[in-house]
Formats: sequence, structure tokens, C-alpha cells
Amino acid sequence: MKMCSKDFSTRLQANYNKSIEIYEGRLISKLLELFLAYEEDSNVKLVIMKGNGRAFCSGGDVAAVVHDINRGNWKIGAKFFWEEYILNYVMATYSKPQVSILNGIVMGGGAGASVHGRFRIATENSVFAMPETALGLFPDVGASYFLSRFPGFFGEYVGLTGARLDGAEMLACGLATHFVPSARLSSLEAALHKLDSSDPAIISAVIDEYSLQPYLKDKSTYHRLDIINRCFSRRTIEEILSALEREAVKSADDWISSTIQSLQKASPTSLKISLRSIREGRVQGVGQCLIREYRMVCHVMRGEVSKDFVEGCRAILFDKDKNPKWEPSRLDQLNDSMIDQYFSRVDDEEWEDLKLPARSSYTASALAKL
Amino acid sequence: MGSPSPADQVSRRAQALAGHLRGLHTSMEPSLSPSPCLQYSPPELASPPSDFNLSDMRKLMDGHNLQDRDWLFGLMIQSKLFNPRVAGGRVFVSPDYNQSMEQQREMTMKRIHYLLDCGVFQEWLTGRGPEVEMRKFALHEVIGMYDHSLAVKLGVHYFLWGGAIQFFGTKRHHDKWLRDSENYVIKGCFAMTELGHGSNVRGIETVTTYDSKTGEFVINSPCESAQKYWIGGAANHATHTIVFSQLNINGKSEGVHAFIAQIRDTDGNICPNVRVADCGHKIGLNGVDNGRIWFDNVRIPRENLLNSVADVSPDGQYLSAIKDPDQRFAAFLAPLTSGRVTIATSAVYSSKMSLAIAIRYSLTRRAFSITPNQPEVLLLDYPSHQRRLLPLLAKTYAMSFAANYLKMIYVKRTPESNKTIHVVSSAFKAILTWHNMRTLQECREACGGQGLKTENRIGQMKGEYDVQSTFEGDNNVLMQQVSKALLAEYIAVQKRNRPFKGLGLEHMNKSCPVVPSQLTSSTLRSSQFQTDIFCLRERDLLIRFAAEMSQLQAQGLSREYALLQSYQLAEDLGRAFSDRAILQTFLDAEAAVSSGPLKSMLSLLRSMHVLIILEEDASFLRYGYLSPDNAAGIRKEVTILCSELRPHALALVSSFGIPDAFLSPIAFNWIDANSWSSVQPQQGATVPLQI
Repeated sequence: MKMCSKDFSTRLQANYNKSIEIYEGRLISKLLELFLAYEEDSNVKLVIMKGNGRAFCSGGDVAAVVHDINRGNWKIGAKFFWEEYILNYVMATYSKPQVSILNGIVMGGGAGASVHGRFRIATENSVFAMPETALGLFPDVGASYFLSRFPGFFGEYVGLTGARLDGAEMLACGLATHFVPSARLSSLEAALHKLDSSDPAIISAVIDEYSLQPYLKDKSTYHRLDIINRCFSRRTIEEILSALEREAVKSADDWISSTIQSLQKASPTSLKISLRSIREGRVQGVGQCLIREYRMVCHVMRGEVSKDFVEGCRAILFDKDKNPKWEPSRLDQLNDSMIDQYFSRVDDEEWEDLKLPARSSYTASALAKL
Repeated sequence: MGSPSPADQVSRRAQALAGHLRGLHTSMEPSLSPSPCLQYSPPELASPPSDFNLSDMRKLMDGHNLQDRDWLFGLMIQSKLFNPRVAGGRVFVSPDYNQSMEQQREMTMKRIHYLLDCGVFQEWLTGRGPEVEMRKFALHEVIGMYDHSLAVKLGVHYFLWGGAIQFFGTKRHHDKWLRDSENYVIKGCFAMTELGHGSNVRGIETVTTYDSKTGEFVINSPCESAQKYWIGGAANHATHTIVFSQLNINGKSEGVHAFIAQIRDTDGNICPNVRVADCGHKIGLNGVDNGRIWFDNVRIPRENLLNSVADVSPDGQYLSAIKDPDQRFAAFLAPLTSGRVTIATSAVYSSKMSLAIAIRYSLTRRAFSITPNQPEVLLLDYPSHQRRLLPLLAKTYAMSFAANYLKMIYVKRTPESNKTIHVVSSAFKAILTWHNMRTLQECREACGGQGLKTENRIGQMKGEYDVQSTFEGDNNVLMQQVSKALLAEYIAVQKRNRPFKGLGLEHMNKSCPVVPSQLTSSTLRSSQFQTDIFCLRERDLLIRFAAEMSQLQAQGLSREYALLQSYQLAEDLGRAFSDRAILQTFLDAEAAVSSGPLKSMLSLLRSMHVLIILEEDASFLRYGYLSPDNAAGIRKEVTILCSELRPHALALVSSFGIPDAFLSPIAFNWIDANSWSSVQPQQGATVPLQI
């Protein structure tokens, strides 16, 4: 099991007579296999993804990857990410509608397995986050593509601070396409099972019947889009931080100070590469984003510039002291050429850039141009 | 000939339909009936993956500050101020040109303030050094890709007003004006041209005198033709202006000098003794408030003379380190050089945008079947359509390298390199902007009716960019200056009996290159031949020009009059110099790339760039550098190059690195963008947000 947390299995339902549970093990390979097979199978009209239990999917099994790295086998990790990103690409360019029911935690890899699909249904139980910068990693699985397409600079905020979003916020920023109260999910599923159509407009109309417009909480960060835009639009992490500090001087505000704190707690290297990745992602197609992220994740695993990924997993997942010792420890210790390295090809004879499969179908938004 | 069997007919029909579905164009088998309905097929599906790396190519083209560029693209895409609109499931940003002139001007200002708040202009005036300047150029280029008005309005303020203070001012001016100007607290304009005088700045009629009793200069517009004209920013927003004026001290005219004058107070009211009027609606650039200014004995403090070149003492004595009025005047034109650099580069980006749009469209739009019932043919599969667009694409690559070179020599300028920069910036500004206007027109026509829609950008850009051949020096005048400079160099070399040095003329020291009489394909594509024939033309034209000049002068004509008479040779020589210099920048860029697919692609583009010049420029046949047979061979080779570039067309425009949002609906799914549902009111939740 490399994809999701221990108590998790994904229920994949393709049309109305198949329901497949995928438990720990070769989750990603299995998903990829099924997705490709369903694309060919004319009986399959749509694919429904949902989690069992509290989570949709709380992310890939990074612990296993770190074990591989510690044993000197970063290439095993690279193979895992390769497959995961290919799956993300297949989902993004899928010819049939994918409906993901996000009734629980959606983090990291879980976001990658749902956001690229056509329909994402949030509920009052949804919790979304990309917490990678606190782990010494960066928001991957195509996050540089979808975070950068949030309104304004909300994507930079979510990607850099690892802030959690609830269902209403997910709908507001475009992560979710619908909000359906969890009590109505079973009848929605039943209705989707009865459908014999791949027409997005028809599927959307069915989901609409169960949807409602949720209210953003008074304390929702989405109400702070103005401040977020002012600060997170800045050119560099350092400038974002000083813009936030200027805002803090203007008004004593817990939200601003906790935002500053989460940036200060995150890996400086992660922050810098994440920001650049999101900025490049904004002007690229999803394919180019995944190719870039694959380069980045390989450099992260090789640890040439920084070993923060291993350190972050130690502090958060293994020792749980929540006190990672980042190295380099300060933003100003990272120069441009150190950051550039994460975006370059990996200097290894066996290594190659992520090779995207040829796809017969391109959705309008998925076309990778550069 | 018997008629085909039914089985044949069926299989042909199946093939034809399959051809439609695959979006292929290779099968030319006849068939019975066309597919009933056109389907959009993205160009990515039919184009083979590029064998060179697009990101590497983009890095080479953009040359510098790629992250800063992407940041700024993002700032514009993410802000509602930049008028995002959805078409065919995609977001596009471009100004609403259907707004009135007044509205467009207000939007320009709002956008400036937004970019200011985001920190885009940090260090634009207070920073120093090549890195700061290159970053400024990169960001300014990106702004111009959104809207030329926005770029011009900023260019006037930061490059002309700010540049004048930096270059003509001294410390007291820098301390007083630069920071507030950078923060746009002071909004500057640049009052040089007048109704009666444009390119001939030395002829301006505005007069300034000095009043030693009060220690003030007094600025006057003595007649209507002296009104300042086309002053960007003057009509609505500028608080201050640089005034170019004749300086009269004790009854003696000391020539053109630059002063700072306030024209509006902080509330936007026009200052006393200043009159301002609008230049009115224009064929483009309506987001810029061009105005006219009259000065009626406007008094300014003595300190407002920008005194790096010359000063007036409190008691009214004229002081200048530069005694020669010609040199003094030349020193005053320095900021126009940076203007020419930005114009030349922005012309290249405008060409890139129009080519990206037109070529993407030509890879998805079909017209006419060659044989009955065949799928219609993709526009870019017509050799004639290739011939229209692909040479312009190759030239745009060449000019990209030229623009990068120009920026580089500008930011690394020294007093010794000033002459080179002046000549090269004049030549490149003219050639690159002419190329842009030609490219825009060709791309507009290549898109047919769709090219006429403002939302598709190219047609609108023709009006927006037309000014480039006029401002900061009329292109024809600039090219004459190039030839004059080359002539001066030639005469100096003859007179002092020294070798040529500088301006790339060193090839004149070598023996005259010989062009083989038989030109094979591989010869035509060799950099040696390409360099030789360009050098040969430049060398011969310079010698001819000098000979004609001395002949005319021997007949008793003055040098100036002789120059007027020799305009034809002067024009040909200016082109010859530019083409040779641009080719050199291409070769230098190519040399820096290690062998591989990228380098091969560059060499293909270079050959196209050179051969199209050989085909189109009449001087090669006129002066006999090419025989008619050679010219015919070159023409043939151009068509071969077109077919070789055709499979790479998409990759070549993708390498420009222009975000999709900056192109236009016809560059993508133009059927969806024009569908009936797209004109229906959108219903809330039934249209999921496309991430």
C-alpha cells in the first residue's frame, strides 16, 4: 500500500453493476489499470470514486518512500511517483466523467486522485489540505496545475501554508464542483447508478438535484481573499512574508499571525520550490506540470540540495516530535541556483523525464501546451 | 476506366471517415461523402511530439528572467482588472477595446496601480545595474503582450520621464524625483515633439529664457506649431513633464535642453499658465491619454534644468562641459535609446502572439477538398499557406535573438559603445517593427474572417502597434541614420588608412567573399554561404554609396544634398547592415547551443530566415549578387524548407511560452467558443468550474 492511509480503501464504481474495492497494496497500479480498461469498455459510462470510512484519501504512503530513500533506493520511490503522476494525467485527460465523492479527508495524493476528474462532490465532512511544505515536500500530483487556477492567489496560500479547507470553501474556490449533504449521498449514488449516459450535462443535472449552496463560515479564510491576494501575489517567499508582516502591523489578527507561523514552520526549501512550481504551473498545461513535478520530486528524494523530506517525515510521521530541523534552515541560505536544480533534469544515466502516455481524448482544460 | 466496385467504395468511405475522426490529412484517397459535421481536433493530437525540448527553446528565446515573466503573466491572469472572459471552456485576458477612450484610459490606470501594489515596478528607477534593467525589460515585454497601451503608458513614465531624470539629471534630481516616480506618486510625461516638429527635435520652437532676478526659467510656446503634441500621459494623468526647449541665454540660443515642469497639482488640476488639450481618439492605443501642451510663460526653479550636460549659474551664465552643440544635442537623445530597445523587443512579442494564434488556427481549420468527398485540407497543409506564415515564423525567431542582443549591449553600455548602440538600436527598431506590422497583416489575413474579430487579437493589434514605426524616431529616418553612420565609418577608415573596427564591419578588412555560381541545397543552408552573401551585399552597397556620394559632391552638391539624392542606396545599405547584424546574432545564439535536435531546428530556421530575404529583397538581383538562376534555386529551396518546418510549426509557436490565456479563442476550440450554448446565459451550478 503506497497510496493511502492504513484504514483506507477506495471504492471504485464503474457504471451500475460493478463495484470494486481496492485495499492497500498496489493501489495506484490497480487504479491505473482499471481506468485504462474502463475507457475502452463501452458499458462503462462514468466512474465513481469514493473512500471507505472517514477519509476519501489522506495521501500517498510517503513513509514507505522515505524508508526506501533511507535504504538508498530512491529509484523505488521514483517509480511510485511516476505511476501516480501518470494516473493523475490519465484522470485529467479521461474521456468519461469521473465523479469523486469527497466525504472526508482529501489530502495530497487523494487530491490528485480526484481533482483532475470532471465532478468533485464536497460534503459537510470534507477536509482538504496540501500539507507537503510541512513535510519537506511540495504540493505535487498536479497541484501546481490546480492550485494555480484557484481564484486570485488563494492557491499560493493553500499550497504554501497547508491550510485546511472545508466543503463550502472547496466549492467556493473551484476544488469541488458540487456540495451535497452527506445524508443525501446514498440516494445520489443510487441515482447515478441508474444513469446510462456519459453526457456531463446530464450527470451534472442529476447531481444538481441533490446539491445545495453551502454557506461559508464567518471565520472562513475565503472571506480574506483581499489580504491573501495582496500578500500571496508577491514575487518571492520573502516578499510574501514581509507583506504579511506589514498586514499584521496594520491589524492584530490571529489569522495573519498563524499564517506567518505556518510559513515559518515549513521547510524553507519546500516553500521556495513550491512557490516557483505553482507560478510555472499557472501558465502551463497539466501534462507539463506533472513532468516538472516529477523532476522536482526526484530531486527531493535524491536530497542533493536539502534532505528536508526525510527530516520532515522523521519529525511528523516517525518520531512525531513535530520539530523538524530544516537544512538549509533559513530562506536567505537558498540561492537561485540551488532552487534551479530542482527544476532541471536529473543527472543519472537511467533517469528520464516523465513520459506521458498518448491520449485519444483531451478535455479543453487539460491540453498541455508548454 | 471502369467505375469502382461497391466494395471499393465502401472501404474508401470508411477511410475518409476515419481520416476525419483522426484529424489526419495524409490520406488523399477519393471517397463518396464527407463527414456531416466538422469536429474540432486540437493541433496537439495531429502534431508529432517535438524532437526538441520546448522549455529549452523558450529559455533561448526569452533569454532572461523567465520566472519573473511567469509571475507577471500570473498576476494578470488572476486579476479581474485584466478583463478575463471565458470562451470554449478557457479563460482569456485582453482589454475590452469596445470601451470608450475615457474608459480605456481609466482601466489602464487601474491596472498600473494594481501592478504597482504587487511590486512589479520595484527598482525600476531606484535600482541600478544590468540585472535590474534586464528584469525591467522582461516585465515590460510581458505587459506589452497584454496591452500595448499599458506598456506605452508605463514606458513613457518609467523609460522616458524616469530615464530623462536618470540620464540628464544630477544627484539633486535623482534624490528628489526618482523614488516618488517609481512609486507612481509623481506621474511623469515627456514633452519633446511638437505640432511642427517630430523627428527633427532640433527644430522645436518652444523657448526657455532665464530670469536672474528670480532665479527662474521661463518656458514659452511662442506659436501654435510650438504646442507639444502626442505627449503620452499629458491629457489626463501626468503631474509633471520633461520639457524639451530651446534655451536662450542673454540673447544667444544654446540649443535644445530639458527641464522639469509641473503641469498638474496633486488633485489633478492644471497648473497656472499651462494649457492642455486632448489629442483625441486614435486608430489604436486609446488607453494612453496623449495630449497637447502650451506653455504661457511658465516659471520653474533654476534647479529644474536637467544639468548633466549643461547648466546655468544663478547669475545667468551658460556653462557646459560639451562645447560642440552637435555632441551636446546627441547627449540629450540618450533616453530615446532605451525607448527604441523596448519598442524593438515588444514588436517581436507582438509578432509571436499573432503567429501563435494564426498557426494554431491553421492547424485546426480546414478549407476545400482537393478531390470530391475528401476531407477538407488543413490550412497549413497548403504550400501557399506555409509560404505565407512559416518564413515569418523563422524571421521572428531571428529577430528574437536580435532583440536579446540589443538588450544585452544596451545594459552593458559604456561611453565607447554608445555609437554602436545608437546605430544598432535604430536599425533593429526599424526592421523589427516593420516586420511586426507585416506579420500582423499576414496573420490577420491567414485567419480569414476570424481575424477580424477583436477578441482574436491580431486585427486589433494592427492598430495598437502601428505607432511603432513612428514613435522614438520614424523608421525611415532611423534607417538613413544607419547608412550615414556607416558612411562616416567608411570615410574615416579611408582617410586614416586604418582597418574597420566596430559595427560588425570587420569583414570589410578581409578579401571580398566569393559566392559560388552553382548553389546546391547544402550550400544554401550553410552558415558560411549565408554570411558571405550578406557581407558581400553590405560591402558592395557601402562602397557604391560612398562612391555615389563623392561623385555627387564632386559635382558641387553639398554633403547633405548628396545624401538626399542617394536615398535609394542608403535604404538598401541600411537593410543590408541590419540583415547581416541580425544573422550574426542568430549565429551567436546557435553557437551557444550544444549539438542536438534544438540546434538542428535552429539551423533550419536560420536557413529559412536567410533564404526568404534572398528571395524577397530585390537588391540581390539588382546588383547581381545572385544570378537569375540562383534566385530560382533559392525560391525552390524555400518551398522545401516550408515543408520541412511544417511538422514543427506547433512546437515552434508553443516554444514562445505565451500562456494560453494571452492567445485567443481561435487558437483553441473555436467551435465550442462559438457554439449556441456559449451565447446562452450560464446557469449556476450546472456549469462546473473547470479547474
